[in-house]
Amino acid sequence: MDLSGRFGARSGDGVPFREATALESLHLGGGGEEFRQMVPPENAGGFTALLELPPTQAVELLHSSSSSASQATTLHSLGTLSFPSNPLLMERASRFSVIATENQQNGNVSGETTTTSSVPSNEHIKTEPAETETCDQAAVEKQSNRCGKRKELDKKVKSSTKKKSKSSEENEKLPYVHVRARRGQATDSHSLAERARREKINARMKLLQELVPGCDKIQGTALVLDEIINHVQSLQRQVEMLSMRLASVNPRIDFNLDTILASENGSLMDGSFSEQSYHHRQLQQPPSQQWPFDGLNQPVWGREENQDHGNDHNNLMVGSASLHPNQVKMEL
Amino acid sequence: MASADKPINTDVPEKDVFTLHFLQSLSNLRRQNTFNSPEKTNDRVKKIKKAAYVSMARAAGGTNRLWSRALLRRAAKENSKVVRFPRRKKRVTCLRRRRSNRRDPVEEEEAERLRNLVPGGGGMETSKLMEETAHYIKCLSMQVKVMQCLVDGLAPK
Repeated sequence: MDLSGRFGARSGDGVPFREATALESLHLGGGGEEFRQMVPPENAGGFTALLELPPTQAVELLHSSSSSASQATTLHSLGTLSFPSNPLLMERASRFSVIATENQQNGNVSGETTTTSSVPSNEHIKTEPAETETCDQAAVEKQSNRCGKRKELDKKVKSSTKKKSKSSEENEKLPYVHVRARRGQATDSHSLAERARREKINARMKLLQELVPGCDKIQGTALVLDEIINHVQSLQRQVEMLSMRLASVNPRIDFNLDTILASENGSLMDGSFSEQSYHHRQLQQPPSQQWPFDGLNQPVWGREENQDHGNDHNNLMVGSASLHPNQVKMEL
Repeated sequence: MASADKPINTDVPEKDVFTLHFLQSLSNLRRQNTFNSPEKTNDRVKKIKKAAYVSMARAAGGTNRLWSRALLRRAAKENSKVVRFPRRKKRVTCLRRRRSNRRDPVEEEEAERLRNLVPGGGGMETSKLMEETAHYIKCLSMQVKVMQCLVDGLAPK
């Protein structure tokens, strides 16, 4: 599909998307615009800055230093896209060059505890769902979150490769999809995968929260899940109740649906309709004479369903009662 | 985000599709049984319930959804029929499941309960499970609406 095509184009570059915008842009909700914002030519500043890093790290980052050149060219070959000049990206690129000098001090990336940075990571989690906003907006938020903690950025940078390769699996066998770990978080591959998984689960949890009434007020996943489970159980119980009621009602009514089903295809088959409820028959007698059965079957059906969408049960009652006389025969 | 998928799709067909399938199954039931004997009410209830679920599974996207597939398979097993589903690609999720060993105990307990509730939930990873649950909830509520309308229509007071 269209989106997967974009993915393919992106992964084919293997462009080192070190900019934080890469994170947002990978979220496909934005689609094309974010992609464009992600690959501005101004990135060249940040690109070269990172090349000043110690070669091992650079190699790690770039996944294959030889392809870095081709990456640039393929980048520009995508020039058909218009790249809005993004001042925020420029600022970030400049900051990267600062970090490159600090890099020696920070040395190896250790699995630093995330206790102190759990707060910004939470904020990140919150900003993440705001993917649908423009890249700029999210970038502003990220910068404000990050203002004091530049040291950790390089860690993020280094971990990006690991996360990239990890998420490449998750992204349907694309060769190289770049993702960025959050600042200040452990960059162990396991925890990265774990984090990715957690994000997925949280996204879906949000979906569920919207579905189940009264769930958005609740904080905490456990309670929300409780609520969801209760909802599912209540729905299932409702189905059971209604099926019991239908079972009690059903022996009285016997309706044949061949005609109804046939009308869905626009053709009317012979169908016999037998009904044993006098109550209904009286309802139907007047309309049966007036309504021609062929043309109105479909619109009647459709109309009654449209009304049902408005949760108007009575209309269906009338509708179903009126459906029957539209069939060919009525047998007692 | 790291593992951004395409936007999660939990669309459910319109009510008339559900109604169609449900009425179809009901008419099939009618053809099969004699509904005269009152002793078999429970059986009838069960049959109707099963028909409701099966028709819901079919209406809601047939074999594209895991839960509907599990439902249909379960129903077919009871009827001792063989059900064949088109082969899906092997997902990479099974790999991931083995790797990520850090699970939130509270969440897993809830996930376990969900798995028991949602048909076919046993073989799914948690994120997939939640997606299926969302779709399942939508379909269930649609089915409830349909049945409610039917009951009201057939037994007006």
